[in-house]
Amino acid sequence: MKPMRSVILEQAIAALYWLMLLAALWVLLRGHNQPGGGFIGAMLAVAASCAYALVFGAEAARRRLPLPPITLAGLGLGLATASGLPGLLAGAPFLTHLWAEVPLGVASLKLSTVMLFDLGVLLCVWGSLSAFCLRLLEAR
Amino acid sequence: MIHSDNAAPTPQWIGLTWLLPLGLFVLLVLSGQPTLGFSLEWVPSLGVSLAFHMDGLSRLFLALILGIGAMVFLYAPGYLHGDARLPRLMVLLICFMFAMIGAVTADDLVTLFLFWEATSVLSFMLVGFDNEREDSRDAARQAMLVTGGGGLALLGGLLLILHAAPGLRLSDLPRLDPALIADPVFSAGVMLVMLGAITKSAQVPFHGWLPGAMAAPTPVSAYLHSATMVKLGVYLLARFDEAMGATPWWEWSLVTLGSITALWAAVLILRERDLKRILAWSTVSGLGTLTLLIGLPNEWSALAFNSFVLAHACYKAPLFFVAGNLDHLAGTRSIDNLRGMGRALPVTAAAAVLAGLSMAGLPSSFGFIAKDVILTAKELADSLWLVGATSLLVSAIGVAVAAVATIRVFFGRPNDALCRDAHKEGLRLVAPPLVIALAAVALGLFPQLVETMLLDAARMMSPDIVFSNADVPALREAADLSTLGSMGLIVALGALAYLGWDRLHQGLARLTFLDPYGPASIYPRALAALKRGAGSVTRALQDGVIGHYLMITLAATCLLMLPLLARLEPAPSLRLDALEAGRIVGAVVVLTGALLAVLASDILARLLAAGVVGIGSALVFLFSGAPDLAFTQLAVETVFVVVAAVALRRHAALDPAPAPGPWRITIAVGFGLMLGVLLLALQAAPMDSSLGDFFLAASLPEAHGSNVVNVIIVDFRSLDTLGEITVVLLTALAAWPLTRALRHKGAIRR
Repeated sequence: MKPMRSVILEQAIAALYWLMLLAALWVLLRGHNQPGGGFIGAMLAVAASCAYALVFGAEAARRRLPLPPITLAGLGLGLATASGLPGLLAGAPFLTHLWAEVPLGVASLKLSTVMLFDLGVLLCVWGSLSAFCLRLLEAR
Repeated sequence: MIHSDNAAPTPQWIGLTWLLPLGLFVLLVLSGQPTLGFSLEWVPSLGVSLAFHMDGLSRLFLALILGIGAMVFLYAPGYLHGDARLPRLMVLLICFMFAMIGAVTADDLVTLFLFWEATSVLSFMLVGFDNEREDSRDAARQAMLVTGGGGLALLGGLLLILHAAPGLRLSDLPRLDPALIADPVFSAGVMLVMLGAITKSAQVPFHGWLPGAMAAPTPVSAYLHSATMVKLGVYLLARFDEAMGATPWWEWSLVTLGSITALWAAVLILRERDLKRILAWSTVSGLGTLTLLIGLPNEWSALAFNSFVLAHACYKAPLFFVAGNLDHLAGTRSIDNLRGMGRALPVTAAAAVLAGLSMAGLPSSFGFIAKDVILTAKELADSLWLVGATSLLVSAIGVAVAAVATIRVFFGRPNDALCRDAHKEGLRLVAPPLVIALAAVALGLFPQLVETMLLDAARMMSPDIVFSNADVPALREAADLSTLGSMGLIVALGALAYLGWDRLHQGLARLTFLDPYGPASIYPRALAALKRGAGSVTRALQDGVIGHYLMITLAATCLLMLPLLARLEPAPSLRLDALEAGRIVGAVVVLTGALLAVLASDILARLLAAGVVGIGSALVFLFSGAPDLAFTQLAVETVFVVVAAVALRRHAALDPAPAPGPWRITIAVGFGLMLGVLLLALQAAPMDSSLGDFFLAASLPEAHGSNVVNVIIVDFRSLDTLGEITVVLLTALAAWPLTRALRHKGAIRR
């Protein structure tokens, strides 16, 4: 079955795709203090990939991913694991998260290995579920 | 017969492996008589440690493992000369040697079990070494099933023993609390250990696997199935002897079992024409005698046991080498064709004669001394006349077997064709049997060489043994008149059996009505029944219909929960105060979705209805103060419904589902009720909020985050999360090849 063609839908999804990924990023970043986080962000990203696949086909959606899905998932797992190493090097147990405050004039930016960990969760779930869902959405 | 065509250059190290056990053997001999032991923490939370302990009994078995091992390692490269599989054989044999060393020096019970199982697994690989032949694969599987099943019994027994006496070590056994021995749990454990031991040592009714294991190449048979591994069972029984010796069932069962095994195997010997199988049955018979000796209650029996362990290894291993040489150099093991082979294989013949002397228990051999001690032990035991008669017959057959393996095969009118075609004896093929057989004679002439070792070993089974090597020269005191008389009788009977061997064989071969009860027939029938049973269970439970899997799983869960539901504490109760507008709306949505899912006949409609249930739960979460959960639920539900709907439309036949039958309705309603009752009971119980309070309090100050849920996920319990995303990735990896099939048309039919 060929995906249906609808110019309006195509144009809308092309824009919506990036919008949803932006939303995923926003949900990820606010996650530590307000509802959100890596997993929910990942679900949004997966929804974006699936929507893209419904309109443009699974292959196109796969090419839209920053990396091949399984590689993406592997990278995510790697990031999450790596985020535990600084704590280990500092003499604390594995996955003890470290925080640093970078002063930026008037405000200051809080940086943490937690962010890296959550980003890893997002990438891993996004990659794994996309791999699976895109296969299911594949046209014969 | 072992030669394969793909000859390969043998690596240099293969020829030198025998120096490894030899070096260890020399170390063992030089190290004197200390009792050694050490222990490494392994799983402290379970009280398991890698504990080893070496005492007299261990030393005796170690001497066999290393001494015979050196000769086996010397022999094997000669036997499999030019065979590409030789390195595999040597590696397996070396692994086996270390497994045996571990098994006879283990102190901790779990450590013992591990090494014990390692010997079973390695025996499987060695028996099935010639894996291109079906009979050797079958023999390997039989050995594995019997000794592996016994291993399970052993594990159960050891766990029961550890339950009754936490932290018990093998070295504690001689000084056991009498209260413990009376403990039924401990006794049950010992019985299971005994079961494991008798499978390993091929006692009736588990004797069938050992002659089958003769499918293995000769070095393996000589090492595993005569000198070392099959003695592991009696080794373990000997370990328990001091503790259990005063228990009547222990003595009786061992004496009975040992006598029956020794006698029955002696009868079965006479039905064989293959020299190697004759030797195998005589090994079973010897193992029966060892079991019997453990069961005899006096201290002479402990000495007799250890002497016979040594004597048996020192004559049986060379005889296996002899059988291997005949097979390898003359091409047959059938005693019908082997006559006068001494002319072609003079050194092999010499080794056979020396080993045969020991096996027949003739003077000047170590077998003579062992037999003398055995007879003394049996006389002192004043046990049943049955035991005496049995051992007389068994020993006589032993003499006859020794005569067959020497006189019949190597002397008399030569079989000219065989002698002419026989290959030359290589050094590697004749040195091992000759060295061990000469050692047996040397020990017969100078028993004081091993006296200390044997007495030390015997003391492990009877600590208050009366004789010491200082005042009673136990072994040299051999041959008082009474035992000389019995020995003469044994040799005379043996000579008669030898002369009438063929007639006995024909007579026994005619007893075909026995065949259905023999192991050769029971084992395949049991195996076939097992396969049929497993087949019908699998067909009933796993018919490939996912709906049936689900029904079975749900029904089984309900059944398992029934006893729990019967005594719920506190009783489930409905808390009406928890009801509020938002949650009621959510619950109504959930109920509507569930009813729609049940009533709809179209699969897509059902899927959408299931999605409604998910959205309803998201509403409930939202109004219960869990926005994160609601958010996630909504996102997951949306993606799931969309992807599942498209996938179903593209890849599956959308037939309308048939109306559910009464079974499905019953199971569904039952499962729903069970979950409902459980949840109500959970709600009625007071909630322990200390964990939640901690997270609420610590979230901001310690983890710099005010979204507690996220802080728990990424910080407090981040190791869990790491594990979870690993599972997600692994699932995707597992689904990747499976979903590949979707690319092909019509891949999903069912």
